Amino acid sequence: MRESRWCGSDDMRPTSARISQIAFLALFLFLFIQTEYRGHDEINAAVNAFFRADPLVAASFLLAAKSWTWLLVPALLMAAATLLLGRFFCGWICPMGTVLDLLTPKKRSRRPIAALKGNLKYWLLVPILSAALFNLNLAGLLDPMAILLRGLTFFLYPLLGLSARVGWVGLYRAFGERRDAITPAYDLLHTYLLPFRETIYPLASFSALILLTIIVLENFEERNWCRNLCPLGTLLGWLGRFSPFRRFPAGLCNDCGKCRELCPTTFDRDLLVREECILCMECRERCPKDRISFRFAIRRGGAGPLLPERRVLLGGMATGLLLAIPARFRMPEKEIRLLRPPGVRNENEFLDKCVRCGECMKVCLKSALYPAAWQAGIGGIYTPLVVPRLGYCEYNCTLCGQVCPTGAIPRLPVDAKQHEVIGKAAFDKNHCLPFARKINCIVCEEHCPIPTKAIRSREVEILGLDGKPGKVKEPYVVEDICNGCGICENVCPLETKAGIEVFGVKDRTPTSGGTGDTAQNGPGLGY
Amino acid sequence: MDRRSFLKAAAAASLLGPSLAREALAAKDQPLVAMAEGKDNAAVTRKAVNAVGGMKRFVKAGDVVVVKPNIGWDRSTEFAANTHPQVVRALVEECLAAGAKKVKVFDHTCNDSRRCYVNSGIEGALKGIRNVECKHIEPERFRKVALNGHFLKEWELYDEALSANVFINVPIAKHHGLTKLSLGLKNVMGIMGGNRGYIHRSIDVALADVNAHMKSHLTVIDATRILTAHGPQGGSMADVKVLNKVIASADIVAADAFASTLFGLKPADIPIIVAAHQRGLGEMNLARIKVVRV
Repeated sequence: MRESRWCGSDDMRPTSARISQIAFLALFLFLFIQTEYRGHDEINAAVNAFFRADPLVAASFLLAAKSWTWLLVPALLMAAATLLLGRFFCGWICPMGTVLDLLTPKKRSRRPIAALKGNLKYWLLVPILSAALFNLNLAGLLDPMAILLRGLTFFLYPLLGLSARVGWVGLYRAFGERRDAITPAYDLLHTYLLPFRETIYPLASFSALILLTIIVLENFEERNWCRNLCPLGTLLGWLGRFSPFRRFPAGLCNDCGKCRELCPTTFDRDLLVREECILCMECRERCPKDRISFRFAIRRGGAGPLLPERRVLLGGMATGLLLAIPARFRMPEKEIRLLRPPGVRNENEFLDKCVRCGECMKVCLKSALYPAAWQAGIGGIYTPLVVPRLGYCEYNCTLCGQVCPTGAIPRLPVDAKQHEVIGKAAFDKNHCLPFARKINCIVCEEHCPIPTKAIRSREVEILGLDGKPGKVKEPYVVEDICNGCGICENVCPLETKAGIEVFGVKDRTPTSGGTGDTAQNGPGLGY
Repeated sequence: MDRRSFLKAAAAASLLGPSLAREALAAKDQPLVAMAEGKDNAAVTRKAVNAVGGMKRFVKAGDVVVVKPNIGWDRSTEFAANTHPQVVRALVEECLAAGAKKVKVFDHTCNDSRRCYVNSGIEGALKGIRNVECKHIEPERFRKVALNGHFLKEWELYDEALSANVFINVPIAKHHGLTKLSLGLKNVMGIMGGNRGYIHRSIDVALADVNAHMKSHLTVIDATRILTAHGPQGGSMADVKVLNKVIASADIVAADAFASTLFGLKPADIPIIVAAHQRGLGEMNLARIKVVRV
């Protein structure tokens, strides 16, 4: 039973790897909190930086979309660095690895799970890549950073926000306006740490459960997820085999063997398993005899066969194919409400490109975006859907396109985004008040953000339900200029079902500019 | 005069007398509406307020004042969907100069409140002024209030507006799809919580109900530029008309009634003004309103 590297009794010296890990985890969390509207139309730095540097995301994007985006250049650089240095990402950068290192138990009483050993990690990675080739992008489902981000976005962050809100409201209930005395402190927290709005997401518990499972696995073996399951780690490990940066000696010394105790990964038959080594350098730092070094050396050997066994390779590829084909199935009625973020014009292309990282949902200003559970087919799990009754697409906001790491939601200037079609609104005259009950309403027209109004009304003579003649404003949709933002459905004052709803459309050609509708925000008047 | 004619005359006098007396009193005490005009929005605002007696008439030392502009929409200042930040700032400064302990500025926005506060320019205009709060609405502060009105029996209103010593109503003058115009009486909707769209089915009566409970001590209508169509949001400069005017009055109905003329309308064209007048909330008859132009 070795002691955790974080709790070493004899050596609390913070090594470079430790400092780097903490710094990147802090950066990840900082960028996570930054992924929100903070008074500026542009978000300069968001947590998407981590995904853009993720070779697994890049590999599955390239295989599935079969196209190129400059957004993924950092991922290629990361792959190149891994070819040169080995799997350093896992021991120096990966925020999930750091979380596991921080939570790893000091003493372990359980033995490693045999079922996780062997080729299981390839049985995960190969099908992911092969499914991508057949247009099913699963990388995000098992990408460690996506798992961490979804656990944060859908579960932990709303939980933090809700707890704070309940406490804050509780103070108001107890003390009334005297609560104002500590308002500045709460404002500070609310501005810089807490979510602006506490949104409850579907799949929240599921996302938390996946994260929790990975953490629980840590009870059986240190970095259990990383060495036995993580598809990103497996990919990096495979690339890292080619690295000329090696540990010397390659195996354990005959007279000591403390490395096996210190190492968070594996010594197989007294030899360091190179594709698992995360270059934490713990063995070098803590070698009692100062014998260990890491240096560049061109030498073959030390690693197993280049590719996993043929049956794993072929079996994995077949699995990917078998997964990919049925995953595209979707009942046609699901399309009715398949509303994608603005700028997404083609559903299949979107499914190829979307990482399912959840950033668009984190950043969405009016909580319009929610992860699909089954609405988009099995292959569309965790992809973002607009749910207008819960939130609408804010006319002047372009944040989702700014934080999407792969451009699945394109980054568009605000005037272009305003013409992108999410869907088209249509009235349900059996519910809409002026039709169904012959009374005035037109809250939808009032809120429609299109400067020339995609919802208009005409005054008509009606016979009221009480038999008295009168006049009422009947609304109608000007379909050509409706962009499906969903504010009409969102604000419809009917309870539960709205009298106007946005429906998906196949043809998402942007609405024409028209005359005079230039309602982006102007330069302002000096403030 | 026989007994019969005396009784007739007495009855007539007792019936007509009070209303005649009211007419006479009203003539002596006509509601005052000030309209200031000029290029400097802050200066125009001050002129208008001074012409109806100055801020000291409304705000006493130590008062907590609510200045309630329209910050409803994510539109920048020039689109005339929100109250001009310079008008708001001038009023806030006047309140502080009159001795206000604290000035609170807020609105229950329709678009995302962060974007509205930022892009209206109002949050930025008030930044750094001491004893001024420009906070987002906090849902827990809405309080069910018995209105006992004609349409609304009770509704959730914002406690900071209810508990303030002075409520200053600062709408922008603009077109509205349902109510024709959105002015002071409509701007009070910004202190309402709940499912506000519900009141659209009888909005003039409902707003009279709310205004009867929430008295605006001073109404300052921003007509520095007005939105003439596609209100209340606008979004096209083609619908914006620059007037360089600010209207002030202690009588909210009189202020709204006079402001309707800026759009070429008559007060009687606007059902909210009529409903509020009939409720006794103020004067809508332009002949009985004293207008001071400065």
